[in-house]
Amino acid sequence: MTGVRLEGIVKAYGRIQVVHGIDLNVEEKEFVVLVGPSGCGKSTTLRMIAGLEEITDGTLHIHERLCNRVAPKDRDVAMVFQNYALYPHLNVADNIAFGLRIRKTPKAEIAKSVSDVAEILGLTEYLDRRPADLSGGQRQRVAMGRAIVRHPKVFLFDEPLSNLDAKLRTQMRAEIKRLHKRLDVTSVYVTHDQVEAMTLADRIVVMNKGIIEQIGTPMDLFMNPANTFVASFIGSPPMNQMPATITRSPDGYRALIDQVSVPLHNSLSVSEGQDVIVGIRPEHFSLKNDGGLPAIPLSLDLVETLGSEALLHATVDNQSVIVKTDTNGDISQLSNVDTVYVPPEKVKIFDAGTGKVIS
Amino acid sequence: MTAKSVGNAANNTASGTPDGTVEYAAPALTLGDKLSRAVDHFRNEWQLYVMLAPAVIWCIVFLYKPMYGLQIAFKDYSIFRGVAASPWIGLEHFETLFGNDQFIRAVFNTIKISALNLLFGFPAPIILALMFNEVLHAGYKRFAQTIVYLPHFISTVIIAGIVITAFSPTAGIVNTILGWFGADSIYFLTKPEWFRPIFVGTGIWQEAGFGSIVFLAAIAGVNPSLYESAVVDGASRWQMMWKITIPSILPTIIIMLIIRIGNIMEVSFELIILLYQPATYSTADVVNTFVYRQGLQSGQYDMAAAAGLFNAAVAFVLVVAANSLSRRYSRTSLW
Ligand SMILES: Nc1ncnc2c1ncn2[C@@H]1O[C@H](COP(=O)(O)OP(=O)(O)O)[C@@H](O)[C@H]1O
Ligand SMILES: [Mg+2]
Repeated sequence: MTGVRLEGIVKAYGRIQVVHGIDLNVEEKEFVVLVGPSGCGKSTTLRMIAGLEEITDGTLHIHERLCNRVAPKDRDVAMVFQNYALYPHLNVADNIAFGLRIRKTPKAEIAKSVSDVAEILGLTEYLDRRPADLSGGQRQRVAMGRAIVRHPKVFLFDEPLSNLDAKLRTQMRAEIKRLHKRLDVTSVYVTHDQVEAMTLADRIVVMNKGIIEQIGTPMDLFMNPANTFVASFIGSPPMNQMPATITRSPDGYRALIDQVSVPLHNSLSVSEGQDVIVGIRPEHFSLKNDGGLPAIPLSLDLVETLGSEALLHATVDNQSVIVKTDTNGDISQLSNVDTVYVPPEKVKIFDAGTGKVIS
Repeated sequence: MTAKSVGNAANNTASGTPDGTVEYAAPALTLGDKLSRAVDHFRNEWQLYVMLAPAVIWCIVFLYKPMYGLQIAFKDYSIFRGVAASPWIGLEHFETLFGNDQFIRAVFNTIKISALNLLFGFPAPIILALMFNEVLHAGYKRFAQTIVYLPHFISTVIIAGIVITAFSPTAGIVNTILGWFGADSIYFLTKPEWFRPIFVGTGIWQEAGFGSIVFLAAIAGVNPSLYESAVVDGASRWQMMWKITIPSILPTIIIMLIIRIGNIMEVSFELIILLYQPATYSTADVVNTFVYRQGLQSGQYDMAAAAGLFNAAVAFVLVVAANSLSRRYSRTSLW
């Protein structure tokens, strides 16, 4: 059974269409993350699932039930908002109980559910406090509690962590992941942060300008981006992309960037003279030549040390390139780097016109 | 050596408090230090004082200077001798006032009219604001709001004219409508029992719309995602009004209530003067109209000052009491 199914979902505000026909299947108990730059229609899509926005066209099924015209309260979904949407005049316990009270759940049941949820989220000591007296992380947890307590069929999250500082965000991210493992409920999670998407998702949906660019597991998107947009959006630092032309040599096709040419894996369906974009992930370069790898000469601008890793900012034929390498605790040799090596199977080739990957 | 450094470390890192604060012993400042700090402060922040100045000057000219004249409440004042030269007579004016049935009646009338005003006039703009908030059609909402704001901008004299005309026994719309149902015509404005309802009703008609602006602004400030969250949780519009809108604007309501209580003795004096007549004095005469007739029309300025001072003292006590009750029970207060 699918948890949430979107078919040809379109959203227009008046005469401005912002979501252009989205198809997406979220399996039951799956954790799907919608990721994309700001303004690409993630929130709008999520809000259509919640019923906060009308669906202009297409169909929405939740647990195989057509929900286009079903009121939000009857969709059995719970939503966590970016700004938490806690009621400032209610204490933590009453905030968590709000949805149950609205549904006229018996008092004893409410008390039990609230204390269970508070236990799960470590909020037991704070039940009497008002939201104003809580830290950002605690407020976030209360917002989660309010969603969990209702035992909905689907959880919807709209950038729930973006108001937290970096450290807390990492911590809450892990907590959400654990919570999902424990509760095992279909979840749709919106974020603009690809790291959040990579770490949380069973599957990631990369959106851009109101369409879906690619759907896949985090590793799938990382290793096999469908186009240049996904390649530059997933992974940090992003994949290096350099315009090139395909040339032919006795040992197979090569991509000629300007003067530097990169040998390509011989399974690629390219033709001589084709304009392409060469994509190489910063972490796929190696500084040592292990077993006859093709060499790429570069000129180094800057070394950024991150501790266990370092980023080399360099240029290859006037194209800027970032190389990521392990330091092993020693950066003394990095400033002398003038050549890097890359295995041909790690080089991605995209069509220069459409941006689509060539396989 | 080791022991000593351990002790120092403990002092410096404030082991006592979890958030790392330490008790700070402020160094004693000499007068010269304080003065030079004040001068620096003024030099850096003089713009703030310039901005403050008009309010301070206004208070002095219109509030503090007239207070000088208040002393005539305790004097046998004569215009010819002036304020300073008139002899002190203690509380004699207050004794006279409280011996005067008309004054006592005016005090009670003030309280009754104010109580009715508070009971019906205070909730009216709040209810209106909540109703406007439920109007979904933006154009209709603006139109309706403009209509209800209008009476506020009409001069009280014209308002009184409209009321007098509407309730007139011969051509008034009220009596005309009553006539359709076969009722006899009533000369409302000569009936003491009708004065208060007409007065309070007129006040609501005139001010409820304009008063709703404050509450509409407060409603507009409520975080919209509170409502969205409630919608997903299954709340009806009625539940959202009771559980979100009203609690969210409660601080505003309380502040407005405190201000209102402070003005409780200040019933709209012009409107009463314009609407009342000797036939309705028994319910319509309030402290301010009494002061006006006794003080200004009969020239007893000292007596009028005493009545006015009494009014102000009652208002002061009420507003302080309301504020401290509110601070204690709702964490909201004017000061
Ligand atoms: N109520 C609205 N009226 C008109 N345009 C809107 C409205 N809400 C969102 N949009 C537009 O829809 C697009 C997608 O918005 P949104 O879904 O919020 O993006 P995001 O991916 O950042 O969550 C944006 O271009 C935004 O300007
Ligand atoms: Mg958004």
